[in-house]
Amino acid sequence: MYFQDLLLTLQNHWAKLGCIVTQSYDLEVGAGTMAPYTFLRALGPEPWNVAYVQPSRRPADGRFGENPNRLFQHHQFQVLLKPAPKNVQELYLQSIKAFGIDPLEHDIRFVEDDWESPTLGASGLGWEVWCDGMEITQFTYFQKCGGYECRPVAAELTYGLERIAMYLQGVESVYDLEWVKGVKYREIFHENEVEMSKYALHESDPEQLEMLFKSYEAECKRLIVEKELPLPAYDYALKCSHAFNLLDARGAISVTDRAGYIKRVRDNAALCAEGYLKMRQKLGWPLCKTAWTVGEQLPMHEGKPASDWWKTVSFEKKADKAEKKAEVTRG
Amino acid sequence: MAELLFELGTEELPARFVVPALDDLEKSIAELCAALNLTHGAIRRFGTPRRLALLIEGLPEKTADLMKDVQGPSVKAAFEADGTTPKVPAIKFAQSVKLPVSELKRVTTPKGEYLMATVEEKGRRTFELLGEVLSTSIRKLVFPKAMRWGDVEQTFGRPLQWIVALLGTEVVPVTYSDVKSGRVTRGHRFLANQPITIDRPGDYEALLEKAHVVADLTRRRAMTVERIAAAAKQAGGTVLQDEALVDQVLNLVELPNPVVGTFEERHLDLPPEVLIQEMKSHQRYFTLTDSAGKVLPKFIAVSNTPVKDVKLSVKGYERVLRARLTDGRFFFDEDRRSTLAARLPSLARRSWIDKLGSMAEKSDRVRALAVWLANAVAQQATVPTVERAAALCKADLNTGMVGEFPELQGVMGREYALHDGEPKDVALAIFEHYLPRGAGDSLPTQHAGALIGLADRLDSLAGLFGIGKRPTGAKDDFALRRAAITFIRIVVAKGYRFSLSAAIDQALAALAPKLVDVKRKAGEPGVREQLLEFIQGRLESTWRESHRADVTDAVLAVGIDDLVTAQLRLNAISAYVERPDFKALAATFKRVANIVEKQAKDVARAPVDPSKLTDEAEKTLYAEVSKVVSAVQTAVKADDFSGAMARVVPLKPLVDTFFDKVMVMADDQALRENRVRLLMEIGALFGNVADFARIQTE
Repeated sequence: MYFQDLLLTLQNHWAKLGCIVTQSYDLEVGAGTMAPYTFLRALGPEPWNVAYVQPSRRPADGRFGENPNRLFQHHQFQVLLKPAPKNVQELYLQSIKAFGIDPLEHDIRFVEDDWESPTLGASGLGWEVWCDGMEITQFTYFQKCGGYECRPVAAELTYGLERIAMYLQGVESVYDLEWVKGVKYREIFHENEVEMSKYALHESDPEQLEMLFKSYEAECKRLIVEKELPLPAYDYALKCSHAFNLLDARGAISVTDRAGYIKRVRDNAALCAEGYLKMRQKLGWPLCKTAWTVGEQLPMHEGKPASDWWKTVSFEKKADKAEKKAEVTRG
Repeated sequence: MAELLFELGTEELPARFVVPALDDLEKSIAELCAALNLTHGAIRRFGTPRRLALLIEGLPEKTADLMKDVQGPSVKAAFEADGTTPKVPAIKFAQSVKLPVSELKRVTTPKGEYLMATVEEKGRRTFELLGEVLSTSIRKLVFPKAMRWGDVEQTFGRPLQWIVALLGTEVVPVTYSDVKSGRVTRGHRFLANQPITIDRPGDYEALLEKAHVVADLTRRRAMTVERIAAAAKQAGGTVLQDEALVDQVLNLVELPNPVVGTFEERHLDLPPEVLIQEMKSHQRYFTLTDSAGKVLPKFIAVSNTPVKDVKLSVKGYERVLRARLTDGRFFFDEDRRSTLAARLPSLARRSWIDKLGSMAEKSDRVRALAVWLANAVAQQATVPTVERAAALCKADLNTGMVGEFPELQGVMGREYALHDGEPKDVALAIFEHYLPRGAGDSLPTQHAGALIGLADRLDSLAGLFGIGKRPTGAKDDFALRRAAITFIRIVVAKGYRFSLSAAIDQALAALAPKLVDVKRKAGEPGVREQLLEFIQGRLESTWRESHRADVTDAVLAVGIDDLVTAQLRLNAISAYVERPDFKALAATFKRVANIVEKQAKDVARAPVDPSKLTDEAEKTLYAEVSKVVSAVQTAVKADDFSGAMARVVPLKPLVDTFFDKVMVMADDQALRENRVRLLMEIGALFGNVADFARIQTE
């Protein structure tokens, strides 16, 4: 199976089940989780079912195109199903059958692997899915996102496309993958790996990156706090995170400073999460009014535990509260 | 009598959750039944990644009727002053127990006389009680990490998919989260994932077996071990025993299907520990060895599914391992481009514990303390090895391999030291300073590793106690209890004689710059005292595992500053504890010890004055005591506490006769003091071994 067919097969599988297929998010992200289609949409009571390919940049993993398994940029196939359908494991297993992994021919197992992203304030419990001892998918039930509890709980499936394709094509190096007949991964991405690795590991300008980090951080805050624009603010949170990754790959962040940077990225992500929730609440959680379900998924109408729960959550920041208090006194 | 089947079907539970969850479930159901007076027979347990189940035998139709005493109001409050005319409380109580007032009994309690009635409590139907018991037992289950799923409020280890609750042929209604109980279970996820209806609890195991699930844990374990051994034999090797790995693999499958794979021979030049770790920690593969214990280029993986074509699936297993070993080789080669010595500056950038500075600083302190210990225990010859090995012992922490596999610390240090051309003794000491790594692990074979290990542990203990991070309750984040127990174990096993308090002082002096700013609570004992007490506490709990508490106390009371003699003293007295006459022997010496203790403040220590001994019994005793004094002292000096005891014990009949015939508390002060001094002399003899005043003789 060509790389492109793998990607199309997955896309079709999830599309047929009722997921929307979006295109990759157009900013630098380290993982499909960071695209707003997952990070923001996992929040609140609204249903959400999405599938997309996400090119994911990991500057520290750049190996100048010399390592057969590690890449500066790889591709994830990301699925988010919210709420997690009761039969999500079956839906997943159908998807791997669709690209040719038959659970009666291979040893498929769900092995404990919990996930936590300190930069996103997000965590979940789940598995890495093994095919004959190889991890092919990260399967996570989101428990927290941007510091907020996930209610309902979303199921996230992240397929490592290169790895699966290498397995299906029986090649030992990612560069030997055939993208389509006659065109190899090498021809498409090798030079990208070489140059991006050179940049990230040797040629980036730490001073400038640090400056960018600071200004992205400030812009994110300004957009949230002063302008109540969580969506553009989140773009800046992502840019901030990428600047951090570049600094980190360059070895420009000391061990002691590292935790501080991570906290700054996380704080911004949490602000965006809060801004997004306020915005959706103001809009009346529009997707709750749809009858959109995938698999054995519960409809998320009014009156369900999750929508009741969100009514009890207050998004008012301390600053707002202080403001209100002052008004009351004046009144 | 009926059987109950209770099965919780889940998505794949983490392997480590299965057994503790079954323990919890069994315990809470047994407790809940007991509280409801619901009797039952044997409980069988079943567990796989996809199910936790109990089969409970011998449940009655209903619980037994009970005659129960109910206490009412006090007689004083219930009757008029005449004691017979009932007032409201008596009437109300009689109504509540449905008896006439005249049939109420009276009981006398410490609080006075009360009314009492014996009432019959009707038994309840087991079916109804179980609904309650089972629902509660699910709610009470605690997992190391619990999760929510879908849109439910409740939590579980992984999403709950089905509940079977079957009493005889009837479904007991139980609801948890979005699941209601029924009689339908599921088989192997891939081989038999269709609904399976259970008619009777007793059919459960056989139905699952038919559906390719071996649910009985003991049976599945035996099967796993057996099949792995058979596969190993066929592959011409032996499995490297690893019980923990078996336990883990056991709960990753519902049906164990071992398959044998191979890897390229060129990887065999990696240290065996690296190969084993690569196979085990990421992949859960078993290592195969030849008859000489050498690692073979083969492994065993345990599949959950008996796949159609084993070759195809094995190719996958081999592929993953190949990538891992290539990674491992990369680390091994990269790491060896630099020497351990060249890595030392990088330890300064590696923090050990926040307030206690870097690994480089720790290394320096450990080196100095290890050298001090080497001199203290008269192992000067090993000092050069100690110096070098201690300086290098933490350098492997900054290698790629240890970064990947922290368990290989020490092992990689040894390998890289050998590669660097360090002396063999140095390489061995780097490895051995971490030994023993657990209760079953071996001790260091050489002094250098043992001494560095002691210094390392003592520095950690002193440092962490110094910044107030000592263990409290169940919390022991830095495994300091283990560190202290290991410290004691090595000192005693190696027979290292040194002053524990002096060693602690030495460690604290080196840490002083780090501890100078630490604020202490007023009245809190000093770090030195806290640490001594802590180590004594560990020694005490270790001893108590196999010795009487009072005997332990008696030996500890003499002091533990020299841990080796403390152990020898315990051994000496232990030889007597089991003897039938120990109680009488102890009673005599305890009497001596008690008198000495009581009189210590009034009677100054001085030699016995023979001219003031009047009675024949005390003269004989004194003569005997004088004969053994020097022999006992010589024995004690030679650490021969058994020899000392052997000389003191025969004094017993003479001491007894002395107590029979002689009045110690004579009116004549001079006589009295002289007799007390004689007892003091005897007390001093066995006081070298233990404080007999603490022995229980009742």
